[in-house]
This record gives sequence, C-alpha cells and structure tokens, in this order.
Amino acid sequence: MSLGAARETRKPRAARHYGAVNWRGLWVLYSRKAVLRFLRYGLESIAGPVASSCIFVLVFVLALDGGRAMSPDLTLAQFVVPGIVMFTLAQVAFDSAAVMIIHDKQDGVIQDVLMAPLTPLEIVVAYGLGAATNGLLTGGILLLIFAIFIDLPFVNPLMAIAFALGGTLLFAMVGMIVGIWSERWDHFSAAETFLVMPLGLLSGTFFSLERVPGGFEWLLLGNPMFHAINGFRAAVTGHSDAPLWLGAGMIVGLTLLLAVITWRLFAVGYRIKS
Amino acid sequence: MQSSPTTKPLSPRKMGVINGRGLWTLYVKEVRRFMNVFSQTLMAPMVTTLLFLAVFALALGGGGRQVGGVDYILFLGPGLIMMSMVQNAFANTSSSILIAKVQGNIVDLLMPPLSPAELVIGVAGGGVTRGVMVGFVVALGMSVFVPLSVHNAGFIIWHAVNASLMLALLGMIGGIWAEKFDHIAAVTNFIITPFSFLSGTFYSIERLPENWRFIADFNPFFYMIDGFRYGFIGHADSSLTVGFFLVLIVNVILGFTAHRMIATGYRLKA
Repeated sequence: MSLGAARETRKPRAARHYGAVNWRGLWVLYSRKAVLRFLRYGLESIAGPVASSCIFVLVFVLALDGGRAMSPDLTLAQFVVPGIVMFTLAQVAFDSAAVMIIHDKQDGVIQDVLMAPLTPLEIVVAYGLGAATNGLLTGGILLLIFAIFIDLPFVNPLMAIAFALGGTLLFAMVGMIVGIWSERWDHFSAAETFLVMPLGLLSGTFFSLERVPGGFEWLLLGNPMFHAINGFRAAVTGHSDAPLWLGAGMIVGLTLLLAVITWRLFAVGYRIKS
Repeated sequence: MQSSPTTKPLSPRKMGVINGRGLWTLYVKEVRRFMNVFSQTLMAPMVTTLLFLAVFALALGGGGRQVGGVDYILFLGPGLIMMSMVQNAFANTSSSILIAKVQGNIVDLLMPPLSPAELVIGVAGGGVTRGVMVGFVVALGMSVFVPLSVHNAGFIIWHAVNASLMLALLGMIGGIWAEKFDHIAAVTNFIITPFSFLSGTFYSIERLPENWRFIADFNPFFYMIDGFRYGFIGHADSSLTVGFFLVLIVNVILGFTAHRMIATGYRLKA
C-alpha cells in the first residue's frame, strides 16, 4: 500500500535532453569503450610495442658502425628514434581502432553502441579519438624512455604534437575502416601485413630519402607515413627530407577524407547492420 | 536384419609400439591447420621478411659495406630467413595448443590412444613443417633480390630443422603453460622476438661490446643463426662444432620437458 502510494507520488521520468551533441554519450564511449579497455590490457598493449621498438633501436645502433650517420647533423639514434616513435604511435592507433570494432562485431555488442542515442558522427569521433589517445599514450611512454638515453633537442614541441596527433588520427581512421570491413581476424591481419607494415617500414623510419634508389622516391613521397615521420622528426631534431607543408596538407586531407568515409560507413551500417 | 548376424563383431584395433595411423593423423591435422590460411602463415612472413630486407639493405647496406667477409645483404639474408622460420615454428605450436585449450577441444588430443611422446612428435612435427616451409618460401622470394649461394647444404638443413624443432618445442611448452592469449603474447614479445633480433641476425657478433659477448656464447639462437648462415656464405663467427651439438642437446632437453608436461597433464588435465 505505502509502496504503491510512494510510486504514484514520484514524478514520471522525462526524456533526457541533449543539445546538438550528446556529450555524455560521447565521453562514455570514448573513455569506457576505447581507452579503459586498452589500458586494461596494459602489458600487451603498451609494453609489447614499447619493447619491440626498443629492440629495433638497439639492433640499428649495433648493426651500424657508430660513426656512420644518416645525415651529417644527426647521429643514427637521433635519426631513427623519432621515426620509431611515430611508427609505433600510428601502429597502436591502427591496431586499437580495428581490434575494438572487430571485437564488438564478433561479440555482438556493437549493437549496444548502435542502439545508444549517438549519431554516426559521434561514434566515429569517440572511437577515433579513443584509438588516437591509445597511440599517443604509447608513443609518449616510448619517447620518455628514449629521451633518457638519447639527446633529443625538441626544436619545435608544438609541431611535434601536431604531427603526432595527425599521424595517430590518420591511422585510427584507417584502423576503423579496416575494422568495419573485416569479417574475420584473417582480414585484419591481412590488412596489417599488406598495408600497414609496408607503409610503416618503407617510410623513411630507418633511412633517409637520399638512400632510396633513383626513380623510387615517389614511393616515399606518396606515403603519408613518410610525411608523418618526416614532420615529427623535423619537429624533434630539426632535420627534414621533404617540404613540411606538403606533408601537413597530405595528412590533414587524407584524415578528413577517411573520416568522412568512416562516418558514411557507420551511417549506412556497412557490414555492421544486417 | 539379414546381414547383421553374419558381420563379425568389431574387435579393438591392434597397435604396435607406435600408433602410426594416429600419429600421422595428428601430424596431418597440424599441417592442414596452417595450410588452410596459407596467406597468413606462409605469404605474410615472406612479405614481412622482404620488407625487413629492403629496410635494412637501404638503411645499412650502402657503399659496399662488408660484414663477415661478404656483402652486407648476403650476411643479412640467411639471418632473416632463420628469423622468420623460428618465429613461425613457435607461433604454430603455441597457438595450436593454446587455442585447443581455450576452446576446450584439447580433450580431443588427450583422449585418443596417443602416448605423450606421440603427441609431442605430432604437434612439434607440424611446427617444424611450418618453420621449414616458411624458410623455403622466404628463401625463394629473397633469391629474386639477393644472390644466395649454397656453401654447405648439410649445415643449412641441420640448422633449419633443429631451429624449427627448438622453437616448435618451446611453443608447445609455452602453449601448455599459458592460460590466456596475453601470456603467449608476452612470451613472444619479451622472449622470442628479442632473442631472434639480438642474436646476430643483423650484425656480426664482433659488434657487441667486449663484456656483452658472453650473451652470445650461451645463446642457442646465436649458434643456429650463425651455423645456418655458414651454410650459405661459408663464414661463421662461432665454433661450428659447438653449434652443431648445442642445438641437438637443447632439443633433447626441450623435447623431454614437453613430454613430461604432457605426461603429467600440467595445466592440461584438470
């Protein structure tokens, strides 16, 4: 009796109002779904890439006679480290974006995301920023470790942040598209082996543009990863192989283009809604 | 109704000391498992290895650099082949066992009339086959770009088989020990990859600082990469005799360990 009376007196719940953007939903998707899930597997997701990057640098420094530098003004380690950091950052962003979406699709929980009052654009922003955050976290830790051993001047910190952000966002978008497209894990690993690894390894991480045999420069100049690495290296060490405005324009343009594609894929539900 | 009384009742199948058919079936299952996704298990390693070759040749090879008395790229080639072989042999057995454990179909391995030794041979045999096949495919792809020549085929085969076997057995042990995919990823990231990268694949061991050489002296990875490379270029940094027997001894120990783990049911039987 008294329980029923109490119930009647309670005001009926009104529908929640939001403005143009569902900020709370966006934040929850970004923090819970994207970043916290990544951090929960900290050992694998951060320590793994960090360890393998350190090994790469070690191998390079050991394999090359100490004196031979890539360019007159830099030591080998100074040349390689910004490239490795950028490469790791982008790869982690790619992995985490793709894995998030494939996991959710396979477990069927992607419906929880699609059912929530989030527009496709909000989903793209939350997932994309989440993956980018994961990449930046890993890259930041890596940079801190390397900064202990190697003299990194940081000529232009703001530009370093800008290029790091651009590179991670670009590969987060690539990762989301791959995640939406993949129906099985094979598809994801094929994309990683045949797309991301070539882009990452043939990118001037480990060698400067002058080393590339004549006629193949376009391979590097057409590779957004090369521009991301080159811009980041220019910001950290002051050494640049290619015009920076070209790189910045290419990264921003490609990221926007891929973001629009991802947004459309979510909006039409390609391989997500049956 | 008519025929049933006339058929002879089935008697238990007789097996000799070795259950040959069971062993063969297990081996074929292990091979089919990776052949089913050969683009991932054979082609992907080849592409990755060729990328590494391109990167290191571009970054370090210029100017007629010589290592161990040969062009750098000839020094690098065999090391990269060996690296892809060991990583794939490890991945094959560890994922086979771990996936079976996680999915629960490990009982299908433990229930049939196969002795622990037969299980070790069958599963490790699959890993060795994958390792050797990857090595062959990678060498084939590489020979387009690098003039690989054979100096001593015996050393190539001995070290290819033993290295694959060593990592296949390590993969089995790792797969039995691991309870989650995180565990095996950690082993790959923090043990297998560092060992295969830092054991003289990319540089002659003379490059190591004097007081770090001891790492190479006790590192079986170093001996097998070095011995395998000797088979191609005819130059070794280490004693070939020591390498020849060391890989054998390590394999016997690892094989025995894997056998004991399966026989006692460590993390396999509840």
